Amino acid sequence: MDDRWVLSRRQLLKTLVASGVVAAADLAWWEEPLVGPRRAWGAQPVRFQFSVPEPKRTALVESLAQRFNQSQKDFEVRVEFVPQAQARQKLITSIAANNPPDCCQVWDNWVGEFEGMGAVEDLTPRVRDWKHYKDVTPIAWQTVTLRGKILSFPWVVTNDSVYWRTDRAREYGITPPRDDWTWDEFQATAKAFTKLEKNQYGFGMRGQGTWAVLYATEFMYANGAQVLKDGKVAINSKEAAEGLEWYLDLFRKGKVCPPSVPTDGWRSIVEGFGRGITNMYIHNSGSSEEQKDFVGPQNFATVPLPLGPAKKRASFYFSETLTAFRNGKNRDGAWRFMAWLMEDEPNFMYCKTLGLLPARKAIADRPEFARDPAYAGFIKSFPFSIVSPYLAYAGWGGKLDSEGVPLFQQALVGKLTAREFLEKFAEVLAKNMA
Amino acid sequence: MARALTGYLYLVPVAVCLGGTIVFPILKAMHMSLYHHVLFKPQEYGFIGLGNYSALLRDATFWLTLWNSFVWVFGSVSLQFLGGFAAALLLHQSFRGRAFVRTVTLLPWIVPGVVVALVWEWLYQPNYGVINDVLLRLGVLRDRVAWLSDPGLAMGAVIATNVWRGVPFFAIMLLAGLQAIPDELYEAARVDGAPVTRRFWHITLPLLRPIVIVATATRIIWTFNYADLIFVMTGGGPANATQITSTYTLLMAYANLDFGYAATLSVVLLVVMLVFTVLYLRVTRGIESVT
Repeated sequence: MDDRWVLSRRQLLKTLVASGVVAAADLAWWEEPLVGPRRAWGAQPVRFQFSVPEPKRTALVESLAQRFNQSQKDFEVRVEFVPQAQARQKLITSIAANNPPDCCQVWDNWVGEFEGMGAVEDLTPRVRDWKHYKDVTPIAWQTVTLRGKILSFPWVVTNDSVYWRTDRAREYGITPPRDDWTWDEFQATAKAFTKLEKNQYGFGMRGQGTWAVLYATEFMYANGAQVLKDGKVAINSKEAAEGLEWYLDLFRKGKVCPPSVPTDGWRSIVEGFGRGITNMYIHNSGSSEEQKDFVGPQNFATVPLPLGPAKKRASFYFSETLTAFRNGKNRDGAWRFMAWLMEDEPNFMYCKTLGLLPARKAIADRPEFARDPAYAGFIKSFPFSIVSPYLAYAGWGGKLDSEGVPLFQQALVGKLTAREFLEKFAEVLAKNMA
Repeated sequence: MARALTGYLYLVPVAVCLGGTIVFPILKAMHMSLYHHVLFKPQEYGFIGLGNYSALLRDATFWLTLWNSFVWVFGSVSLQFLGGFAAALLLHQSFRGRAFVRTVTLLPWIVPGVVVALVWEWLYQPNYGVINDVLLRLGVLRDRVAWLSDPGLAMGAVIATNVWRGVPFFAIMLLAGLQAIPDELYEAARVDGAPVTRRFWHITLPLLRPIVIVATATRIIWTFNYADLIFVMTGGGPANATQITSTYTLLMAYANLDFGYAATLSVVLLVVMLVFTVLYLRVTRGIESVT
């Protein structure tokens, strides 16, 4: 045989590698269910920061970004995953350094601060012309509107309700909570669910993090209190103090909560329920999918928060937003990607996978949300859900964490009375109404 | 002259690096501490002189965190030292498997601080943590104890974790010191009939003193600035019971976005550490002249 036709080992390996790469690249396209035009080489990069890098969310967001990249040829989204604890800090630093991502996923209580820094892109004109504008519930828009400007997309919304163990209620002969149950019934149920000999507690109260104060505030609202009244801080009212006293006593005197309450954050209350330590807890719909894995979908349900003595109740809305930055390098790309994430299928996939509620009515009406008992408590809470009163001022977001939570913990451990806590807390809020 | 200049030129890269990474940030922090600099209120940015320092003096939480810092530092370092000394004396003895034991002793020091915090947080978990479980089974406890959620216990619990982590540091440092002491001194003392306690007080301790001072001082500075463990385990809670000045600084910077006030706290921390370092240098200079 002519030597010219003999492949050297190196040539053979190169050929194999090259053909492998070509085949793999091509297969990836065939495997993709959302086949679209191939990305042009000149696609402009879009930086998207995502701050809850749990395995499920990471895979989901990567998959969504890939689908978006394949659905059009102008932009290529690159996801930057940042641990949740550092997300806000990283965003602040990047804004201060004038190098923010083009868009990001953040909670609505951060948006006010970023707006205060002059960093957020005003989406109002574009949003008003967006085809699904009217399909988004007005209250969801409220969570992302500041001084008349729509600053973000409400990617998902959620409110709070009570998770409870249906299997244990049957086992202990406890009457299932009704949708219009009262504080007394809530307390009685918590007591009946508490079995100290089995290391089980009736209610997993939250004592750590922003929402520790928010859940307590929801009970104060149920007693007729308000955070703001006629533009003034009114959280130190008699109704608030009585409502808070009752709530704190569930832990301090009622002994229906685990001893770890003062440092229990969201992970602890969710895991406490999942491990069977607690039999009720308050949270948004975000842990419903997790509880289906932990305790089984047939063993728990959700019910609205109980009615207070004032025959009132409140569940605070909040949204996980999609926010673009004014100094982002690719504002058009950011808009296109965010709007695409709000489309039917991407939005449905995101909400359903994570157990969060869609802001768009057309998606929320789908049976996967409307008929699932795990979501019943949240959907039934819509009529009395309100936007968190602590979103009123940008300065309140940080103060809730740095001063509100430690003060609340002092009240929990008995170093402050409910009244003393509220007086100090009202002072903090009044000083930071900016 | 040219030779001397060349020497200085060689120092330029180091000087630039130190200036850029140490001197400039310190000067910048001092500068920021004189301004009202809340990131979400750029319109209010401005020079306020000693306004932040004055606010700090009136800030009850700051004084609490300073006290907590001293409890945290001296509780941690003194127990680490005692544990480390005992471990070093044991590891200095010859026994089978000594190399293996020495390696294993280092493990807590090798594990990253955040991992240590997470592991101990689980151990302390009142409802399903190992510590409560073991103590209940042994009959030491009758009820579950919320180690990290009780303001009276939380600081002790985080200090215990820090002690576990820091003992190997002292053990290795002091072991190195012990190995450097000539055996002849002990033999001579033994010949003179000195018992173990006298040999320890009159040979071991004096010769280890320089290492003890260096190791202790270094560890005090590190611990004063060490926020990871507390940040992960308790977040400074409950009710600020474990809030030390370094975690409080983080809170002011990244929860309140008040960089001016956070810079003021950093400057005060720097001053506290500088005072300590000056005292330390004086003491060590005294010891060096004695030794």
